[in-house]
Amino acid sequence: MADRHLHSANGNSAPSQFGGAAPFFVGLVVALILGWWAFPQVLFSKKHQPVHFSHKVHMEDAGMECSSCHYLREDGTFAGLPTTESCADCHSAPLGDHPEEIRFIEEYVNTGKQVEWLVYQKQPDNVFFSHAAHSMESCNTCHDFTETELCSSCHPNVAEMDEAPVYYENKLTKYSKQTMKMWACERCHAHPDHYGNTRSSNACFVCHK
Amino acid sequence: MAVDRRGFLKFVTGVSAGIMVTPVPWVLLDDLSIWTQNWPWIPSNVDGPNTFVSTVSKLCPSCVGMKVRLVGDRPVRILPDDNHPLSKGGISALAVAEAQMLHSPARVRRPLKRSGDGAYVAISWEEADALLAEKLGSAKGSLACVSGDETGTINEVLSAFTARAGSQNFYLMPSEIQPAAKALAAMGGEGQFGYDIENSDYVLAIGANILESWGTAIRNRAAFKDAHPHGQEPTVPYVYVGAVQGNTAAGADKWIAIKPGTEGAFALGLAHLLIKSGASSYASDFSAFASLAAGYTPEKVAELTGASADGIKALAAELQKARRPLVITGSEFGQGTPVGTVAAGMAVNLLLGGLNRPGGVKLLPVAAPVVDSALSRAQMMEKDFVAYLSRINAGKEKAPEAMLFYEANPAYGLPQADKMAEVLAQVPFKATFTTFLDETAMLCDLVLPVPMGLERLDDVATPYGSGSALYCLARPVAPMPANVRPAADYILGLAGKLGYSLGFGKWEDVLKAKAQAMGANWKSLMAGDVFVSTETVGASLSFGADLIAKSLTAKTAEGDFALAPVHKLNMGTAKTAIPPYNNKTIRRWELQGSEIYVAMNGATARKLNVSKHDKVVVSNKSGSIVARVNVFEGIMSDTVAVLMGLGHTAFDQFSKGKGENVMQLLTVGFEPGSGQSVWAMAGVNISKA
Repeated sequence: MADRHLHSANGNSAPSQFGGAAPFFVGLVVALILGWWAFPQVLFSKKHQPVHFSHKVHMEDAGMECSSCHYLREDGTFAGLPTTESCADCHSAPLGDHPEEIRFIEEYVNTGKQVEWLVYQKQPDNVFFSHAAHSMESCNTCHDFTETELCSSCHPNVAEMDEAPVYYENKLTKYSKQTMKMWACERCHAHPDHYGNTRSSNACFVCHK
Repeated sequence: MAVDRRGFLKFVTGVSAGIMVTPVPWVLLDDLSIWTQNWPWIPSNVDGPNTFVSTVSKLCPSCVGMKVRLVGDRPVRILPDDNHPLSKGGISALAVAEAQMLHSPARVRRPLKRSGDGAYVAISWEEADALLAEKLGSAKGSLACVSGDETGTINEVLSAFTARAGSQNFYLMPSEIQPAAKALAAMGGEGQFGYDIENSDYVLAIGANILESWGTAIRNRAAFKDAHPHGQEPTVPYVYVGAVQGNTAAGADKWIAIKPGTEGAFALGLAHLLIKSGASSYASDFSAFASLAAGYTPEKVAELTGASADGIKALAAELQKARRPLVITGSEFGQGTPVGTVAAGMAVNLLLGGLNRPGGVKLLPVAAPVVDSALSRAQMMEKDFVAYLSRINAGKEKAPEAMLFYEANPAYGLPQADKMAEVLAQVPFKATFTTFLDETAMLCDLVLPVPMGLERLDDVATPYGSGSALYCLARPVAPMPANVRPAADYILGLAGKLGYSLGFGKWEDVLKAKAQAMGANWKSLMAGDVFVSTETVGASLSFGADLIAKSLTAKTAEGDFALAPVHKLNMGTAKTAIPPYNNKTIRRWELQGSEIYVAMNGATARKLNVSKHDKVVVSNKSGSIVARVNVFEGIMSDTVAVLMGLGHTAFDQFSKGKGENVMQLLTVGFEPGSGQSVWAMAGVNISKA
């Protein structure tokens, strides 16, 4: 029975018996592939905006700015995404011959239906975020942001995109992959340079009401 | 190449180590925590533009004006309305909960009919129409109707409907306005008492809990706030005379504790001192009143009320010194007051020259009814629902064949509530127009859902306690649920089907006529403005000496201890119960779990040999409640204070089964002289449980 003991002295060395470090590294590589490549494929589903929209055309050709559509209302609340009626101010009839514009007018403008835009950075209800507090006036007290730069500090910079980015929806949480988490807010809120210079306190109740 | 056990374990170790340097564990942990917050029943915010609409609360007895913040068509928050004369930048704990109460689990959302086994089954409006028309048609002449809306013109529609059905049995739920109206009638006046608190330079409240729940409480608080600038000396002294140190006593510059139910005697003590100091009147019965008051020396009043004789003298001297003093008399819990008590308080105002002068008591005009056959306001005030039920109970009057309730909950809100519910049970057919499934609805054969004040067009005409005649509209600011119907339009339609002509087919037309009768502009009212009249009714009032004298002959309450019910607006009313939003405002020494706490001072507790948290039985011939003791020095000796608004047996989990209903302990008596049903003076026995 003693012969059956695995011992390097009697020929049972690791390399010949799938021993040594190789299985460990194989497992490691498999895990890395699964974790970094396969897992995101499984976790997120790809979605596209219901209507093709080119920010680039609106910014460069029509000379619009972010706040032309995404503005603060008179009462200080943020209008967010434009309504179909807002879009119809210009697009009540086709301005060009793009088939998506024609479809938008037929399906939405003519019927009064609202577009179910996918919001890349939708926050849960337990987060209170005020666009009014993060305005050009407040941030540019020290910074020198353009409107696009300020907006893209948090949002994807779509100003020069002809196509809206793909929306990756987390199958578990139903939020977008790009939704800001608390650490992203803290890049500014917990930044030492902001202490005493802004009102960007990092206290819990500033955002969590 | 074979994989042996050791190799496999190495592979697994590699996978484990590898997975830790991938996002898998960390992202999954984070996502799972977010996933746990995503349950479908959690309400989520709806984004949209904010709008603000001014309206008035139909739920809060203070008729407070409010500004509703809407996101889209959804009310999300009730805010004070700076421009409304009954808000003046304030809001009540009940009105502020209205936006959330739209979604209350106790709301009735479709017509319900009681089936043979006692269960309620949903029926269509057509079925409800047919049943109601049949029952009311056959009960013609034997109908009674009860309204819980004190200020609305719907009372004209309901009283006219009742009259057309051949009955005079239209009643309002009891409140402070009825004894006040009877006192005014006995003193030879017309209109309605108004209290010009804003222009007064000395405010004395006897019993009336003016900064808590009595009358136009929120408007009163605004006047109090103006008179008490922060960090400065008060410009107008507020004095409270009552048994319990609630918000009114705590805010007042002076609190004089008296036994509950002795407010009239206290007022007569002041009248005695004023007359002794030279106050006089041309009223025909002044000498009779002076003789009556002469018997109420400070020493006697001190003995009757428990206040000190020196305190009463000092108070009378302060009143005399003031240029525009105002005395407001009423019940600490807004009901059951003897007519004589109101008249005695009013007599003090007359002696102070306070009638129809700035900062005094005004006689406010009351518009004539606009609906054919409707009772006038004065006629409505004459009717005494508790007396009616007592007559039925005593067999002196036959129970009606049918009874209609409109936003009224007598099965919970009347004194000796269980006894009253037994009387109501004698009525063969009962139907209620209600927003919530309350105790009275649970007695009814038919439950008809009506919209809340935020969902319907309604009105408020000069609530009791107001300083001037006013009129405003409650405008529908939220969409009405699909299966509820406004009661007024429904009754007008039903009247048409039964062949009763009320002169109107649409509720809006009734309101337009009412606005015109009040002298208000309809368009302005619909824009949210409030019509305020500066008119007063000229009169030279008598003292009602005979009435006061008879009233004071009432027997004192039985029992070793006096009962002081406490009414707070955060606890809601009989028709709202406790708004779910307000459960957190109930203090731990008021309710713990399902156990109610009653409050007494240390001397009373020692007398009973009880200490804080001990269980006691508070009882009298009307009923008994089991409660725990809270020791609080802000209670008159030999008095036990009990919070109203608890002990519901209907509504929802936020109100049902919590504590006990103090109304069970309030024994109805009848005031000598006026014959008014009264229950402001109740005695109880207390023993250790």
